[in-house]
Amino acid sequence: MEALLNTGSTIDEGRLAKGGSKYTDDYTKECAVCWMCAEDFTSLGCPEKVAVISRDRKYSVALTTKVTEAMRSGQVFIPRSIWANVVVEPDTFSTGSPRYKGSPVFVEPTDDEILSAEELVTKMYMGGE
Amino acid sequence: MVYKNIICPVCGGSCDDVQVNLDKKNGTIDVQNACKMGNAKFQEVVSHHRILKPTIRENGKVKDVSWDEALEMAADILVNSKKPFFFLGSETSCEAQEVGLHIAEYLGGLADSNATICHGPTVMGIQESGMVGATAGQAKNRADMIVYWGVNALESMPRHMSRYGVFPRGYWTKRGRFDRTMVTVDPRVTPTAAASDLHVQLNPNSDYELLSAMFTILNGKEPHPSVEEITGVPISVMKQTVEMMKESNFVAIYVGLGVSSSYGKHRNIEIALNFVKEMNNYTKCNIGALRGHCNVAGFNQLASYLYGYPFGLDFTKGYPRYNPGETTCVDLLREKDVDAAFVMSADLMDHIPAESAQYLADIPMICLDIAPCPSTTAAEVVLPGVIDAMECDGTFYRLDNVPVYFEPFTDSPFSETKSNEDTLKQLFAKVKAKKEA
Repeated sequence: MEALLNTGSTIDEGRLAKGGSKYTDDYTKECAVCWMCAEDFTSLGCPEKVAVISRDRKYSVALTTKVTEAMRSGQVFIPRSIWANVVVEPDTFSTGSPRYKGSPVFVEPTDDEILSAEELVTKMYMGGE
Repeated sequence: MVYKNIICPVCGGSCDDVQVNLDKKNGTIDVQNACKMGNAKFQEVVSHHRILKPTIRENGKVKDVSWDEALEMAADILVNSKKPFFFLGSETSCEAQEVGLHIAEYLGGLADSNATICHGPTVMGIQESGMVGATAGQAKNRADMIVYWGVNALESMPRHMSRYGVFPRGYWTKRGRFDRTMVTVDPRVTPTAAASDLHVQLNPNSDYELLSAMFTILNGKEPHPSVEEITGVPISVMKQTVEMMKESNFVAIYVGLGVSSSYGKHRNIEIALNFVKEMNNYTKCNIGALRGHCNVAGFNQLASYLYGYPFGLDFTKGYPRYNPGETTCVDLLREKDVDAAFVMSADLMDHIPAESAQYLADIPMICLDIAPCPSTTAAEVVLPGVIDAMECDGTFYRLDNVPVYFEPFTDSPFSETKSNEDTLKQLFAKVKAKKEA
């Protein structure tokens, strides 16, 4: 499924990030989540986990799904975090700010493991150190 | 002991009414008046995961070292770099940021801050159009209509609505919420949108088109019908919103990353600012950015005052240059244009897209922070941070660019440093000694 990615704060994401709890299970449970509407969730086959993939298909991140009436069809939301930023468009349109809102992404069902923030940085960014 | 009127160092709201009861003996802290985020940050003073010892990475292994060794290694990395990059984060004072800027200038490097990945495009929009602004107090006392555009205030600045925006009783808004109309413009049904009188649920990436149409309506013309399909908002709702604004005595608009970070970027802000100027022909109207990071406005003020540009400063030619898209953090890292990084009081690794983050992990990085996070994991050198407004004094700039001086209620836990400013001064001394040797 093609979708537009929206990222942003949630109160518990803020509470955990500001409280220095980025390496806790609570943070992963709060942020490694893809919000979508029931219609899109059904069209994907009601998966427990999805892979959100960047437009150029270079980067992908596995997330749990959350069905909510807050979203419209064709739009997904990930709380702002290291997981969301894996698939945020890095182009800044000569402003310095990447496209945290409205990045085009692909969303597909997956069985991949959901990485913690620490695993993500070591495996994806540090080459598995 | 109980301490009153403590400044909260979490978001741009800079709440100044926090009450703290610190029990040093039992290692507990009780916090009142702070929001969930604020309370969590205050708990860091006594947390078990606080970074208390400097570390370095040697042959892939992380080991504890003395402050002097860590500062030596940090200075070596910076001095040996051809193009060092300084990310002077916003969760610290202007005083610490100032020292960081001076080191960047001295070494001919580049310096940036959270503004670049936050309201950088907003600042660029202001450079294009100028801004009709007001302090948060003006909005509190006068505004009878509040518009949150592209921002979920309840979750990104939880006390904004209760301190400045919607609920407080102001001089001309004595009944608080009952004297105010609240409108939210957001593609998502956020808690802020749910609490609003009117939620304008636009399509993502259509802020510019919606603002253009409202501008057209404000000028007495009919927008093209295609704007309904593009924005997902009926023209009748646009007209209703414009009418509500015109009929209000004072409109306060707060913009968030929904405007500045979506397609259109600083042009969205530019047209919003022009719309506000035009609206002042009918009523009093101002606009401000809801700045999520603590002292992010401070860096803009400081860098503008010292070097003439608000963020994305390039000192490589010996004088300050500013070219967003070239001299800004995400672009520099994406283009692999720097060869070492100093990251202070911001988890940069967490906040930037994968391509930039991968390169940041590849180059030698020095990280000054208070708790373990992706940036400290990838850093070569980790320097423990001192918590501003709790353990040292200094200056923040609030979301409306009002400077706020803060005083601590406890001391730095380190005998080697009193504040992040102090740590940076020690680092600068070592850098100078090595450079001039």
